[in-house]
Amino acid sequence: MLEAESLTVVAGGFRLHELNLRVIAGECHAVLGPSGSGKSTLLQAILGVLPLQSGRLRLNGADLAGVPIERRGIGYVPQQLGLFPHLSVRQNITYSADARRVPATKFRPVLDKLVEATGIGTLLERRPATLSGGERQRVGLVRALASRPNLVLLDEPFSALNETLRRELWWLLRELQSQWGLTVLHVTHDLAEAYFLANRITVLLDGRVAQQGDKAEVFGRPVLPEVARFLGVETLQPGRIIAVHDGLAEIGVGSARLWALAAPEMPADVLVSIRGEEVMLEAASGPEPAASARNRLPARVVAVQPGNPLVRVELDAGFPLFGLVTRPACEELSLRPGLAVTAILKAPAVHLLRRAP
Amino acid sequence: MKSPESGSKSEPPVNLRRVSIAAALGVLLLYGGLILSLGWFLRGDALRETLLSERTLFSVKLSLFTATLSACLALVMAIPAAYALSRYRFRGRELVETILEFPIIVSPAALGAMLLIFFNNPLGEWIQENAVRFVFSFAGIVLAQFVTVLGVAVRLLKTSFDEVPVELETVARTLGASPRHAFATITLPLARRGLIAAYILAWAKALGEFGATITVAGTMAMKTETLPVAIFLRLASADIEGTVAMILLLVVIGTAALYATRRLLGKTVRA
Repeated sequence: MLEAESLTVVAGGFRLHELNLRVIAGECHAVLGPSGSGKSTLLQAILGVLPLQSGRLRLNGADLAGVPIERRGIGYVPQQLGLFPHLSVRQNITYSADARRVPATKFRPVLDKLVEATGIGTLLERRPATLSGGERQRVGLVRALASRPNLVLLDEPFSALNETLRRELWWLLRELQSQWGLTVLHVTHDLAEAYFLANRITVLLDGRVAQQGDKAEVFGRPVLPEVARFLGVETLQPGRIIAVHDGLAEIGVGSARLWALAAPEMPADVLVSIRGEEVMLEAASGPEPAASARNRLPARVVAVQPGNPLVRVELDAGFPLFGLVTRPACEELSLRPGLAVTAILKAPAVHLLRRAP
Repeated sequence: MKSPESGSKSEPPVNLRRVSIAAALGVLLLYGGLILSLGWFLRGDALRETLLSERTLFSVKLSLFTATLSACLALVMAIPAAYALSRYRFRGRELVETILEFPIIVSPAALGAMLLIFFNNPLGEWIQENAVRFVFSFAGIVLAQFVTVLGVAVRLLKTSFDEVPVELETVARTLGASPRHAFATITLPLARRGLIAAYILAWAKALGEFGATITVAGTMAMKTETLPVAIFLRLASADIEGTVAMILLLVVIGTAALYATRRLLGKTVRA
């Protein structure tokens, strides 16, 4: 388990402020944040490349203060992978054994299993320059895992790959993580990647922890507008709580009324956050069926932006509302600007945030 | 109606390929022409006599040995110095960077004069008397060549180390390598082209070094007479045929050694 307590790190003009982080043994913890939010600085501090200005770092209970990089027991896969270009794949993945002067026989069983699991057996005599992007990633992973580190740091290692390859490697990493019980700290700015791989998420903004918790909680209930925006929430509108009945809050947003789960101690003036994936669309002409969804909003399509696999639909529902629907759904409903539709939202999909003072 | 060529954005009349190749051939013409012009004063008997003389053979051996030794010594100091300049931030770093060009800025003769002046200071005198005698000696030749080539060697090596990503060293260390092991197994092999280039350049520069050598070590026959010094001495005594023979010898030895080194090390690099 990795524990960071009140970590302050200064790198050039950048400062990581009083950061607290806990990566539980066996979990994949994603650190999300835009460029310049301090993700790489955090990794450099954990690795021991950057000194701590204050705070404490512990790995499996042992204080890392003064422990050199090579004795921290941390595996590292950087963005550019850092494969040694002058060494073959075999020499790359056995480098750890050579550097630690460990007999090859000790590493062999682990390496053989890793090589088999990642399918790099046929690449062992090749140089990194001759490998494809996906092959290079696999070699990078095997090399970092070969010495069975206590913690694996991944610094956006899949960012240079195409979508298909990236998803293939997500599955591989997830499989390796569950099979080998790896403790992984994964830095990324890819929301889908973090959601797929991580158990818990920390959102970093401007060198501070903006939110930390279970991934469903962080994605579904961002605590700050900045976090909501970063996590891809496009509908973020000011609203006012009109009434609260039986744990449900009635909110006025623009000219519309919405129902949301009432949050304790929420002031009357709030920000309403709705994820595009939570918006369901229905043809307006159809009969209104009895349904559990509390919010059925008459809306008009303003714009349709094709995407893959989801189409982004901008709506006027008495306030600007953004929805994401699949392409077949878009074709079935013949969505086009000016079309009248009904936007359907369950009450828990309407998340309330405090407005900035 | 304007033709396409007459427009303001048309291809410039100067053909870059032709001009650049002409410039490259111009370099060959200049140096090749100078070497060929030696033929005017080349006499077979004088050449044979000069090449077979004991004094010439001594000069050849002395030049090869001192150039090899001083280039090796320069690299021994340049490798850690260049690595420090490339990787670490320390007080005086910029000053060190600036002073690397010092041997180029001051002439070799001035550099030799400075060495000579140093050995006339109390510290220099103490070194001469209690450690190594540099003035008018073999050690003086090596020192003069070493001082002349060190800055260039550091500069070249620093550039090579700069080109090796620090991240590779970090990765190596996460894999259990000590800083020294990471340097020896990752940084140094990846900087080998720069290392080879620095050695070749340092060796060639040391082989042809004249100004500092003659100032510190003098012109003593069979003692401190390197090939460039021998050329100077023959020219000074109006022995043009002998001068030509010695120049040709220096050219042949220098280019042959450089060519062989390049071929040999080039194979190692590609392997």
